[in-house]
Amino acid sequence: MDPVVNTRTARWSSYLVAFLITALIFATALYASNYFNDQRIADVRSTEDDISTQILSTETQFDLLTEHSCTDVTENVTPPSEMTSLGSELDYLEAQGGNQQEITSLKSMYSLLEIKDYLAMQELAQKCGQKSVFILYFYSNNGDCTTACEEQGYVLTQLSSEYPGLRVYSFDYNLPVGALQTLISIDNVQDTMPALVINGKNYYGFQSITAIEKILPQLKTLQTASSTQATPAK
Amino acid sequence: MIEATATYSLLFISLYFEIFLLVGFLERRFAMPKNNAGVSAPASYPSVAIIVPCFNEERTVSGTIESLLELEYPKEKLEIIVVDDGSMDNTLAIAKQFEGHGNARFPTEDLVRSVASAAGRETGIPMPLVRVFHKENGGKHTAMNYGFERTNAELIGCLDADSIVASDGLLRVVPVFDNEQVAAVTPGIHTKEPTNMLQHMQKVEYRLSVFNRFMLASFGSAFITPGPFSIFRSSIVRDLGGWRHGYSTEDMEMALRMQEAGFLIANAPKAMVHTSIPRTLRHLFNQRVRWTYGWLRNAVDYRHMIGNGKYGNLSILILPSALISIGAGIYFFVRIMLEFGQELWHAYVKYQVTGILPHPGFDLFYLNTSMMWFLVWVAVALILILIAAGSLIGTGKRTLPIGTPLFVLFYSFLVPLWLGTAVVRAVFKTGVRWR
Repeated sequence: MDPVVNTRTARWSSYLVAFLITALIFATALYASNYFNDQRIADVRSTEDDISTQILSTETQFDLLTEHSCTDVTENVTPPSEMTSLGSELDYLEAQGGNQQEITSLKSMYSLLEIKDYLAMQELAQKCGQKSVFILYFYSNNGDCTTACEEQGYVLTQLSSEYPGLRVYSFDYNLPVGALQTLISIDNVQDTMPALVINGKNYYGFQSITAIEKILPQLKTLQTASSTQATPAK
Repeated sequence: MIEATATYSLLFISLYFEIFLLVGFLERRFAMPKNNAGVSAPASYPSVAIIVPCFNEERTVSGTIESLLELEYPKEKLEIIVVDDGSMDNTLAIAKQFEGHGNARFPTEDLVRSVASAAGRETGIPMPLVRVFHKENGGKHTAMNYGFERTNAELIGCLDADSIVASDGLLRVVPVFDNEQVAAVTPGIHTKEPTNMLQHMQKVEYRLSVFNRFMLASFGSAFITPGPFSIFRSSIVRDLGGWRHGYSTEDMEMALRMQEAGFLIANAPKAMVHTSIPRTLRHLFNQRVRWTYGWLRNAVDYRHMIGNGKYGNLSILILPSALISIGAGIYFFVRIMLEFGQELWHAYVKYQVTGILPHPGFDLFYLNTSMMWFLVWVAVALILILIAAGSLIGTGKRTLPIGTPLFVLFYSFLVPLWLGTAVVRAVFKTGVRWR
């Protein structure tokens, strides 16, 4: 191969071969990327199915409460870690882009599960005297709440980890889910993000850790209760 | 949408260029017999003059001249012309010690014997004529022309005064000129032994350049005749009017002029030259700004060649890709820096509102498997293959230099710094200095 000298006349076959190989690499990368994204979506859907089953089980147990003790019911409450990790995974999928229709469907399902869990936990608190504090957190992904929602997400995540008894349910305000819009309507949540519903009272704008601890002095009594975390960085 | 289109278009062009070179290399490797074992004697020994342009090279010039004195070539056919281009240090005095025969610094009898023996000749044959000139500082192209005007040699070479040529270097180059269309032959350029991390990274870069130079020559598209030991056919250089300023990159300007005139530039990678490389980031930055600035300004001057089918591969692919690569380097750097900045900003915001710093964790779910990252990994893998191919071409071994991981991890973050600076300077035509 040494030395080398050649005319500079273009050989179009070389250009074509290189083009085909490059195109093949691009096609493979696209396929691989889609494959792994589909795997992720399947994972999330499977987790949602599991949580759905758990909530259904809890609801059924409420119906049978006369025959079961409260202990049996609380043992079947959805583990907070599952809800937390599901929320984070959905956030990641949404940030990555990809099949938006599929992701919106997963988010809708997640919101429904959160509402069902919220209702089930309220019922549990009533019937079994379970000590729980709930925060409903509404954010927007429409670009009208970039920094404040991100900060609020961090604060709620931090509070959830500090106070395991706190259950934070985060909702995309603009998600077209009937049950979610009904919840927004019932709680009369205005289109000013971030919005928090704490003990039936609405708070708008960023709320710091100190401010929330002031609103919820009972937080410190809930150290041993179960919790879910807010989805971060909204 | 625009961002995605720009990203994938640039990735496609970058990958396409790498694959085009690699396919060409594989075609050539499997089609050609392996004939690298030794040096084939040229049909004739044309007279050769090697010009050593110097400007403040007191530390390295003696090594450069000594390596030329050791060249295996009939000494009566070889002359060494040292042109001191207004140095302010002892370069001239040191070079003068080599002038003529028998002075104090002239090689010993043992060296004369060993050199003559290596060239397969009897002892007693005269050593090559060393002539040393001094002129006012005017730039490398003026030094080259100064020396060129003072010789009638058939082949004219250049050896930067910070470089050392292997003893068989000239014998590997000269036979290529049997092809009348060849106007110049470039060597395989390697770095001198690196002493720090920055130099280790440059060593890898030079290995990649060995591959690129070889492949560009094989596509008839070399557009640089580097200062370290490029050899030219004198008659063609004379017809083309000698060296020009070329925005301090006269080696690029000369190569483009030769291509424009329809001549060929060959590459003899086994003709090994070892050159000094910058030790500090500041010196490297200055050197590369000069190279890139010169390339951009020359590209503007020779823009009529870009996309003009008359010039074949050079105009259709090589020159456009070289220009696009500058834009791509800056684009990807800015993009990565913006993403990194965003991450830092998120960490800062989190710390501000919670007092907690983000802690690193690993979860397979969050492993980035976007199409872009797959393509980036493919591009990195291809770069490694090209470096290995450069090692094979340049040294006969496939092993990657030790600094390869550093090169892959960090060098692409350094390159955009001088690319960006050079682009700004080229837009405002600020000019660049050698040092």
